[in-house]
Amino acid sequence: MTTTTRRIPATTNRQLAVRLAVSRALGRTRDLDGVYGAALATLAECLNVSRASVLLFDPDRVMRFKAYRGLSSEYRAAVEGHSPWTPDSVDAEPILVPDVSRDPSLQEYLPAFVREQIVALAFIPLVSLGRVIGKFMLYYDAPHVFEAEEVQLASVIATAVAFAIERATADELARGSDAAGIEHSVAGISRDVSGLFQEEAVHAGQRQVLEMIATGAPLDEVLTLLVHVVEDQCDGSVCSVVLLDTDGVHVRVGAAPSLPDEYSERIDGKPLGPRVGSSGTMMQVGQPVIDTDIVCHCDSPWDVLRDVAVASGLHACWSTPILSPHKKVLGSFAMYCPTPRGPSREELRLLETAADLAGAAIDHHRSQEALRRSEERNRAILRAIPDWMFVMSGDGVYLDYHVKNPEALLAPPEAFLGKSMREVLPSWLAGAYERAFERALATNEPELLEYNLEEHHEQRFYEARIVRADADRFLCIVRDITDRKRAELDAAAQREELAHLNRVLILAEQSGALAHELSQPLAAILTNAQAARRLLDQSPLDLDELRAALDDVIKNDKRAGTVIHRLRELLKKRDTVLQPVDLNEIAREVLDLTHSDLLLRRMRITTALSPELPAVLGDRIQLQQVILNLILNACDAMSTVTPADRELTLTTVVDDELVEIAVADRGIGIPEDQLDSVFDPFFTDRVQGLGLGLTISRSIVLAHRGRIQAENNVGPGATFRFFLPVSRLPHPPTAFPP
Amino acid sequence: MVALQFGAIGVECCNRPMTNTDSFDLVVVDDDEEVRTALRRLLRAMGHKVRVFASAEEYEATPVAADCLIVDLRLPGLNGFELMERLRLRGFSTPIVFITGDGGPSPNGTTVHAGTQSLTKPFDESDLTAAIARALSDSHESAP
Repeated sequence: MTTTTRRIPATTNRQLAVRLAVSRALGRTRDLDGVYGAALATLAECLNVSRASVLLFDPDRVMRFKAYRGLSSEYRAAVEGHSPWTPDSVDAEPILVPDVSRDPSLQEYLPAFVREQIVALAFIPLVSLGRVIGKFMLYYDAPHVFEAEEVQLASVIATAVAFAIERATADELARGSDAAGIEHSVAGISRDVSGLFQEEAVHAGQRQVLEMIATGAPLDEVLTLLVHVVEDQCDGSVCSVVLLDTDGVHVRVGAAPSLPDEYSERIDGKPLGPRVGSSGTMMQVGQPVIDTDIVCHCDSPWDVLRDVAVASGLHACWSTPILSPHKKVLGSFAMYCPTPRGPSREELRLLETAADLAGAAIDHHRSQEALRRSEERNRAILRAIPDWMFVMSGDGVYLDYHVKNPEALLAPPEAFLGKSMREVLPSWLAGAYERAFERALATNEPELLEYNLEEHHEQRFYEARIVRADADRFLCIVRDITDRKRAELDAAAQREELAHLNRVLILAEQSGALAHELSQPLAAILTNAQAARRLLDQSPLDLDELRAALDDVIKNDKRAGTVIHRLRELLKKRDTVLQPVDLNEIAREVLDLTHSDLLLRRMRITTALSPELPAVLGDRIQLQQVILNLILNACDAMSTVTPADRELTLTTVVDDELVEIAVADRGIGIPEDQLDSVFDPFFTDRVQGLGLGLTISRSIVLAHRGRIQAENNVGPGATFRFFLPVSRLPHPPTAFPP
Repeated sequence: MVALQFGAIGVECCNRPMTNTDSFDLVVVDDDEEVRTALRRLLRAMGHKVRVFASAEEYEATPVAADCLIVDLRLPGLNGFELMERLRLRGFSTPIVFITGDGGPSPNGTTVHAGTQSLTKPFDESDLTAAIARALSDSHESAP
């Protein structure tokens, strides 16, 4: 025989409709014939099959027809007694025969099938209390491909039919006993049997509800089914589920299919309290409330619902709180009884079971809902993110991707999915990624990787964030930063241009001082050389002095070379070069360069350089320039001060993550209202220069991720200070080929 | 030799024309150690007695008799001109050769006084010799 096994998809609306239909159809009848009829009708309606039958094992363990549609007596006689299962079969599963002529195990019945024009059929087991009690058959007059959903629906109907049959059998047995006037004790036994089946029915209903919960059916349908299952067990009673909103204040009706609409209208959206009936009171106290007669209890909390209940012929209301697994009140399950009485023990148990099930359903629904919202939020975030995301294995194989605009990818997904980076990326880039993976693995922190690639003769820039996703997978979030990078490069070029202009102007202004810086070693060289020549003419030769003279020639030549080198560096148009630099050293270089100018200006220089200054990541020349500008600015501020008071203090300090350089003068200070504008372009009191020095200094400091500020001293003068982040680079930055 | 009073301290000054074979007492005031050392070396090789000072204040503190002062114009603290002016104010007329690093305008708009010569670094030994000689002779001519 052929059995199709396919994964059953999540519950569909159709399945739910069938569940409700079968539950209602079977719930309305208590006798066996009614159950058979309802079963066949449901099968025909829900599975769209014109011929079907119900067969049960008789006490002699032979399977016989109990009800059928569209089958001849000849056919029934020919096949009766055949069964793929015995009453003891465990885990009986539906058997599907898409084409009887192709099924070798059914060959002996083939003539009967042909006569009856049956081409395809299905055996659906009816299982109760773990036993196979019978089956139903579905017949088709053409080859039939069974859909997974179809089979699942048939199983749902079979489950419902199986206990409907068991319950009806028990009822009939009980009725038969009463009619025969059997003694009380026997009747007691039969009631026990009836109770057993009732319990089984509840269990089956419970299973059905749980199945619906598990398959993710909508909450109101699950609760409606639950209410029907309970109502079916208690003659004349109607039930309702009232939910407490997650705000803990408002209530709404979860399911009340048998109560008038007015009931829901009066409760829905109301704040929790005595005015929403006993359910409201109970939810506040979290205890069951048994109201045996809502009509007579004038002081009971039924003022809102009394007339609705009375109009519906209901007298008693028993309700119990629905609690979450964490004992949070989720709502209440209420049972309304047409007679003024209290609940029986069984009814109380049923009520509690129903509340438990409702609790499970609501809790599941809410967590699903939370999950769904979270997923929806994540999806929305994903949709909104322009970045490309790649899930990669630890060894660099592309496992998955999320890309908003796949056409922008360098290669179509099929060109990289399942492949290693080494096959897809240029080897230098794959190597860089691998190193980033290693770092991300070691630190468990996101790693940043910036690189550029040439595409269609154009450089494009990318920024990749690499995060360890789980044990051996990485998430790479790649962003095209070309536009940003170009803007940055443009700004940097502009800054470099201005900075260069500023340097040229400074040097022009400083030419006298610089000439002095250069003429000192040159004078020393010439003088030493001429001294040496004279020493050579002396007798005896003073070789020590001669050697000292030549050594000084060499030393001063190098000194002149250094000055020229620094000048050239300052004058050169150059790209920014970021490297760990010592700000103390840079400060000293600037002081060397400006030495003679400061002398000429009669400045007294005091330095307080922190001996343990950590390196900062910066461009040596640009930082020199900032200090140079600040020093010249300080000198200008003191030009009108008497020489004795011209004191310039240069300080370096390290504070946690920042290195600070301060240049303090004892000059005229800055008007308080202009402290913020001193860095603005063309803000200048200086006669010389363009008034760009401080502006350029600020742009350089900002480009170094630092900040610069001006303040007036407590005493005379002002202090300019800038702060740069401490470099955390253990080694020079990784460079990527352009 | 004519003894002149320099402040409260007696300073001997040797005002006379210079010849190639003469040996003079010279003082070099320059804050640049390299230049200072080189000048001392050269002038000693020429046969002069040389005392060097790193600043005007240092020379003022321990003044020594000299035939001629060779003074850097650009000095920390008192500059070369100021040193000269303080010396002149005290009636001291030792000839002075100023040496400058930049050849730029004189600081504070001062003009070169009689009895002073000015050289721009780097300078040749012959220029130095000539400047000292001129300073000595100027000073000699203007001397009372």
